[in-house]
Amino acid sequence: MRVRFWGVRGSIPVPGRSTNRYGGNTSCVEVRPRGGWPIIIDAGTGIRRLGKQLMDGAFGEGAGTAHILVSHTHWDHIQGMPFFSPLYRRGNKLHVFARQQSDTHLQAVFASQTEDPYFPVPLTALEADIEFHELIEGERFQIGATQVSCTRLNHPWVAMAYRLDVDGASVVYCSDTAPFTDILLEHEFIAKPPAVGAPLPQDIVSKLAAMHAGLVALCRGTDLLIYDTQFTVDEYRQRPHWGHSTPEDALLIAREAGVETLCLYHHAPMRDDDAQDKILTATRAASRLAGDPFDVIAAYEGLEVVLGDDE
Amino acid sequence: MKVRFWGVRGSIPAPGPDTNRYGGNTSCVSVRSATGELTIVDMGTGLMHLGNALLPTEFGKGQGHATILLSHAHWDHIQGLGFFAPVFIPGNQFVLRGHGKSSSMLEGILEGQMNPSFSPLYTLRNLGASFEVRAVSPGEPFLAGGLRVTARPNPHGSTTALAFRLEEDGRALVYASDAGYPDGGPSREVLELYRGADTLIHDATYTPADQATRRNRGFSSYEQAADAAIAAGVRRLVTFHYDQDYADADVDALRDACRTYLDVHGGKDIELVAAAEGMELDV
Repeated sequence: MRVRFWGVRGSIPVPGRSTNRYGGNTSCVEVRPRGGWPIIIDAGTGIRRLGKQLMDGAFGEGAGTAHILVSHTHWDHIQGMPFFSPLYRRGNKLHVFARQQSDTHLQAVFASQTEDPYFPVPLTALEADIEFHELIEGERFQIGATQVSCTRLNHPWVAMAYRLDVDGASVVYCSDTAPFTDILLEHEFIAKPPAVGAPLPQDIVSKLAAMHAGLVALCRGTDLLIYDTQFTVDEYRQRPHWGHSTPEDALLIAREAGVETLCLYHHAPMRDDDAQDKILTATRAASRLAGDPFDVIAAYEGLEVVLGDDE
Repeated sequence: MKVRFWGVRGSIPAPGPDTNRYGGNTSCVSVRSATGELTIVDMGTGLMHLGNALLPTEFGKGQGHATILLSHAHWDHIQGLGFFAPVFIPGNQFVLRGHGKSSSMLEGILEGQMNPSFSPLYTLRNLGASFEVRAVSPGEPFLAGGLRVTARPNPHGSTTALAFRLEEDGRALVYASDAGYPDGGPSREVLELYRGADTLIHDATYTPADQATRRNRGFSSYEQAADAAIAAGVRRLVTFHYDQDYADADVDALRDACRTYLDVHGGKDIELVAAAEGMELDV
């Protein structure tokens, strides 16, 4: 399979010279199994260019099928959807997957994204055939030859991590999540964060431990772990309730799960290319010092990683 | 008035090396009155960068106040709000004036982008600053940020977008983004709003060829912008709100074609400026 990064940024797109190398588009990753339809993870602004490329093939003829796995419906993970060209061609088939929420149907969330007065084209006017699928964490299912599994993450309103196994290889997409140590993020709004490192009630400790174990199990032995590393340690200490991790947190999970390659992802919007270079260098140094057997890379727009049998 | 462009792009932010010169952020313009007061027009992603630039000023201390004029609530005009740092600092005061049947309906629309499915902010109530939302009455002038402001709606696809005229000491700046005129051009009222403006910032999303195939989207071509500028007798036309697929070279070509069009259609004396991120203009 081939994994291609179309958007690597968190929170908000950041055009400009200072992001030319890593890219300013928000989250979108394409996984292309050998001989299969694309499986797209998240629909940030990066999906716009992916959509244009897909229109050069079967999607331009109205004969394409795509699956979109949505980690969660915060803006930076869905804001490119209305600009995904294959949606405007009759005959294309799109399956959208996301975690089931207790109060709102997935279709209603996407419908309200483009309803009047926010966007000129409502969901009901799209030409492609769109089917929504709500997931429960722990669920396993097939997309063609690809086995998909998922687990929940520690993020406001809850996000989902996905693992894709196909062509004798696997990739895990883990964005967005806080570490599982200082705060439990679910559906309540947290105005003031607790101090990092402060003791937590036992029920919360247990819930976080279960979430942590679920994620490590999902990542076990994967070839490529794509991980939310939006924060530096200082930034995390100020904002643990925002639901993002540091490269140090990612290293811990990668180590525990025995992954082959760790990929830093969901870069902070104000992080310029040089600052991102430094984070990668420092993370690699820390990893080497710890004797980690895996590689550390940082995602950038246009990066393609080939895993398993691809020819 | 001093005008600064923080986002000049339409529809969706367009990052990448090919938009470095004009910029890829969505619509946001700031206006400083001669008295130093701040008015912000539209809240695209450019608003984040304006907010960061305001932090060393009184807005960093919770002592800032500004008016925000909102043309309409399409995503590319509101998506910067949750990333506007001064709005999280208690003590700052913002009054948003925009289009709505009532103030509470307009506020409800802005709430819609903050709901927890979409945003970790959950609600406008979690903005630390005071944030008051007031619907405007078309054609009725009001005072904001030391300026006299008048708004008129333009057709914009299936909806409308407000155009604003901002006046100070006999000078007038007009902001008219997302204008999808019928065949006859702008309405009489709107043309009066533009009349004699020192600077007209106008929707120039498309070339005429692209506009012809996308008329239902409710945007202007540079020719329609130029026609409006000529008909209203403005001094300076600023092209704005470029299509997300236009690279810098495409916008250069759009500007040059607009210059030629003005020259042969009676607009030789109109100064033409292509808006770019970071550009500052005196009105």
